[in-house]
Amino acid sequence: MMWKIRFLHDKRAITPVLSNLLLTVVAVAAMAVATTATYVISTNMRETMSERLIIEDLWFNPSTGDVHVYLHNVGKVAIHVAAVYVNHTSQAFISQSVWELNGHGWLNVSYSWTSGSPYYVDIVTTRGTHVGGYYEAP
Amino acid sequence: MKRLRLNKRGVSNVIVVMLSLVLVVIVVANVILWSYQMNQLDWERIQEKIELTNTESLTRSSWSTTEEECTTNVGTKVSGAYTDTQIVNGTYETFREFNTTQDSNGLDLTGACTLNLTAYPRTSLDSLEIQIRYRASDSFERWFLKAYNWTKMEYSDAGFNTTAGDLPTSQFRFYTANLTNAWQSYVQSNGTVRVKFCDMQLDANQTTVDIDFLGVRAVIDGARFSLRNQGSITCHVVAIWVVNSTKHERYSASFFLNSGATSDYVRLDISLPKTSCIVRVVTERGNIAISTRS
Repeated sequence: MMWKIRFLHDKRAITPVLSNLLLTVVAVAAMAVATTATYVISTNMRETMSERLIIEDLWFNPSTGDVHVYLHNVGKVAIHVAAVYVNHTSQAFISQSVWELNGHGWLNVSYSWTSGSPYYVDIVTTRGTHVGGYYEAP
Repeated sequence: MKRLRLNKRGVSNVIVVMLSLVLVVIVVANVILWSYQMNQLDWERIQEKIELTNTESLTRSSWSTTEEECTTNVGTKVSGAYTDTQIVNGTYETFREFNTTQDSNGLDLTGACTLNLTAYPRTSLDSLEIQIRYRASDSFERWFLKAYNWTKMEYSDAGFNTTAGDLPTSQFRFYTANLTNAWQSYVQSNGTVRVKFCDMQLDANQTTVDIDFLGVRAVIDGARFSLRNQGSITCHVVAIWVVNSTKHERYSASFFLNSGATSDYVRLDISLPKTSCIVRVVTERGNIAISTRS
């Protein structure tokens, strides 16, 4: 019982213990933040590098008046289409929300095209990958 | 030595540098290794060189011929063998009508041909054709092609496009019967088609018949794509596009083509348009080969 009272009243070396403890906590937190940031940054870079998207077909559909683009994900990561540009102007589009690995499907762009005119179609993913080219309407 | 062990100066710096170094190594290794993988993917894609050399409609299968001697129900075999009736080459098998009584000569042959239902499944067949190349010494007697009806269990030509028979000449001629949409009853589940070749009725002349060819083939509506892989790695075709002014049709595929190989890819479910069209072949790595068909 006596040793407990003596221990509680003994103030020596408290400051070094607290400072060491605090330093350890700060160091662990800093390393955790650094590790997480590293993971996030490297994953993001890796995913950006892994995107490969091709346009299998582009159809100026005379019956609907729209432009249909058939996309195929040939990369190693799922892809989200963020924007579609026709002649450098953003256009509304309807498509599946995500193209999984080896996924493919139509992306319908609402655009009034004119027969015989060339169009530059550019499709941009959320990670910034561009795929597109010049196409002439039949 | 003791002084070095007791000297704590710079320890924290060393630890921080070491930990930072570990993190940097992890980042760099992750990025470089993945970059290496993606570079390899791009390199393989560049190396891939697939070419679509030809595209054509496929309306008939290859011929199936008899694999054993025909049975002469009436008549006799004079010379030759069933192998002489497998190719159109002028080498023939000869049969003669059998004279049972005076003024009663007849010939009745039956043989079996087997369709390759693995290559041409029943669901992809439109019809069947039976063809014979023959000549006869009597050009006034009609000859008939019939097939065994597996439902009615008899030889018949019901549903054939022609049931009037054929008048032979002294020169070899082709006689073809199309089974139209009645073909299903004439094909057994294993692909066997039993064919009968017979004269109209017994007559006074003892006719000699030379058969150069007898075979059966399927009438289909498919497409043949001739592909050539000029690259150094194997190609995997994953899609075929048939595009014309009114339709853009995609067909999923799975066809491997080795490096340097040339091969035909047959699809019985792809019907090419009668008008001009563009055919595209897409590989798994994302390369596209194009052929224009007029």
